[in-house]
Amino acid sequence: MRFKGEKALFLALVFPTLAILVAFVAYPALRSLYLSFHDVEPFSQTLSWVGLTNFKDLFSSSDFFNSLKVTFHFSLLTVLPSVVLSLGLALLLDTNPYFQNVWRTIFLLPVAISSAMAAMLWIFLFNPTAGYLNFLLDCVGLHGPNWLTDPDWALYSVALVTVWKEIGFNVIFFLAGLSAIPKDVTEAAWIDGASAWRRTLSITLPLLSPTIFFVTIVSLINSFQTFGQIHILTGGGPAGTTTTLVYQLYQDAFTNFRTGYASAQAVVLFAILLVATFLQFKAAKSRVHYG
Amino acid sequence: MAKVDFKQVKKSFGDKAILQGIDLEITSGEFLVLVGPSGCGKSTLLRLLAGLEELTSGDIHIEGRPVGGLPPTQRGIAMVFQNYALYPHMTVRKNMEFGLKLAKTAPAEINRRVNEATKVLGLEDQLDKKPGQLSGGQKQRVAMGRAMVREPKVFLFDEPLSNLDAQLRVRMRAEISLLHQRLKCTVVYVTHDQVEAMTLADRIAVMNLGKIEQLGTPLELYGNPETQFVATFIGTPSMNMVSTKHTAKLPVPAAATIAGFRPESITLGSESTDESVPLGEAEVALVEPLGSTNYYHLRWNHTLIVAENRDPNVKALGEKVEFGVRPKDVFYFDAGGRRVRG
Repeated sequence: MRFKGEKALFLALVFPTLAILVAFVAYPALRSLYLSFHDVEPFSQTLSWVGLTNFKDLFSSSDFFNSLKVTFHFSLLTVLPSVVLSLGLALLLDTNPYFQNVWRTIFLLPVAISSAMAAMLWIFLFNPTAGYLNFLLDCVGLHGPNWLTDPDWALYSVALVTVWKEIGFNVIFFLAGLSAIPKDVTEAAWIDGASAWRRTLSITLPLLSPTIFFVTIVSLINSFQTFGQIHILTGGGPAGTTTTLVYQLYQDAFTNFRTGYASAQAVVLFAILLVATFLQFKAAKSRVHYG
Repeated sequence: MAKVDFKQVKKSFGDKAILQGIDLEITSGEFLVLVGPSGCGKSTLLRLLAGLEELTSGDIHIEGRPVGGLPPTQRGIAMVFQNYALYPHMTVRKNMEFGLKLAKTAPAEINRRVNEATKVLGLEDQLDKKPGQLSGGQKQRVAMGRAMVREPKVFLFDEPLSNLDAQLRVRMRAEISLLHQRLKCTVVYVTHDQVEAMTLADRIAVMNLGKIEQLGTPLELYGNPETQFVATFIGTPSMNMVSTKHTAKLPVPAAATIAGFRPESITLGSESTDESVPLGEAEVALVEPLGSTNYYHLRWNHTLIVAENRDPNVKALGEKVEFGVRPKDVFYFDAGGRRVRG
C-alpha cells in the first residue's frame, strides 16, 4: 500500500515538469520533424506529403548555405571570447574574494536584462552619430564605423552584444566550479613549489574542466539559437550578413509562411547541434576530469 | 633533519587573536605533536610553519634560518593534509613527481626517489592508478610518499588520520611511527586525538585558546599535568574532577578547590588496600565492559565519576560500592585551574 502511495506522489511531483516538457519541447520537436516532410498550406494549414523535397530545396538554396556560414562565423565570434573572458574574470574574482559579490552582481546584470531591452540599449550605443561608442572613438581620434548597417561590421556588433550578455552567466558557473576545488589541493601544489600561474595551469584548470566543458556546450547551443538581439539590432541584415540559421528559419516560417521548409531547417539545426555536442564529448573524453 | 624554533609567534584573523605568542623549540629529528581541542590554534601554528598563512608578529626559524617571509617551497618542508589533497587528475606516480619536476630534479633522480618511496610504502602496484581508484589508507600513503620524495627537512602532518576508520587509523599510526624511525626526520604532527598524540610523540605540546598549556613527553603530561585542562585532556577516559569539599579525608592543600584522580587510581570495595583512602559509597549508574577491563560510571554526590576495574565479576547496575583512591595519585588544582602541590 505504501508503495502505491509513493508511486502516486512520485507521479504527482513529476507531472508538472513532464507536462511542460511534452507541451513545449517534445511535441514541437516531433511536430517539426513531421512537418519537415510536408508542404503546409499557409491559410488552410492543409498538409501534403512531399517526402524529402524540403531538404532537397534546402541543400540547393544559397540562402541556406549563407545562413550556415553566418551561424558558424557567429559561433566562433561568441563562444570562444565569452568562455575565455568569463573564465579569466572568474579566476580573478576567485583569487581576490573582496567585493566578489558586488562584481558578481555587476557581471550578472546583463543576464537579467531581456534580449530585447539589451538590444535597444546597444542600438543607442551603436548609433553612428549620437552613440557613445563612436563618441569615445572620436575622442581618441578614430572614426567609428556604422556598426549595425555596415556589412563588414554588423555580425561583429551583434557578437559583441551577445558576448556582453553571456559573460555574467558563465562567470557564475565558473565561480561555482572554482569554489568546488578543494583549497588544500592548490595549497599542496603551492608547497610542491608551483607558482600561481603553474597552479592555475596544472591544478585549477584540469579540475575545472567539467565546468569549462559544460559552459562551452551551453554557449555553443546558445550561439546557434541566438535570435532576440539579431531580430532587434539588424533584422538579419545588412544583405543577409547577420542572417543565422535560426533567423532564416524564422523568416521562412513566419514571414514567408513556408512552414514545412522552415521545419526542415529546424531538423538540420538539431542535427548540427547533436553532431557538434557528440564531437565535443568525444574530444573532451581524455581532457575532462570528473571527480 | 632540522631544528625548528617558534619565537613569540602571534597570529590574528581580523580582530580575533588565534595564537597569542607561541615560543616553542623542536629539536632535530624530534616527533612533536600539537594536540588540543578544535579552535585552539594548532592547525594555524602548523600552517604558519608551512608558509600557508602569514605571521602577524614573531618569527619562525628552521635550522637557524628565519623563514617567516619565505614562500612554502623555500622552507624545506613537506605537508600531509587531512583530506590527502592529492591531485585527482594525476596518477600516483605523477602526484609524487609533480614537486620534483617543478624543482627541475633530474629524471633519473626522480625515478630513484619515487621508486624508493613506493617500495617503503607498499605502493608499487598503484603507481598508474588515479587517487579516485584508491582506498583511504592508500591515499594517505600516497600523500606521505609525495612528502617523502621531496626529502624535506621537516615533515608536517595536519590531522592525517582523522578521515580513516578506527582499524585503519591504528595501522597507519604504527606506519607513521615506523617511518619516522626509519627516516629520522623532524616531524610536526597536529591532531585532536590524544591517543594519537600519546602513541606517536617524542614530546607533546598541549594547546588551548591559542597558547601552549604544557609541553612534555607523553608520560610527563600523563603523570604530571600542570593544569586542570591538561589533566582532563590527556588520558582516556578523562581524569575525574571533584570538589575538594567531598574529599576531606584526603590531605588537600589549602589553595586547592578541585581534586582530580584517574579512573585506574580508584579502588572498589574489596580491592581497597592500606594505601587507599575510602571516599564513600557510590551507585553503579553504567557499566562499560571492554573484555580486558571494565569502566564503571559511579553516581556519587550528584556527580558521575569513572572508575576502571579489572575484576571479571562485573558489578550490577544500581549496586552500591565502596570506593577509595590512593592519595599519591590525586592531583589538586586551584580555582584558576593551576596545579597545587601539597
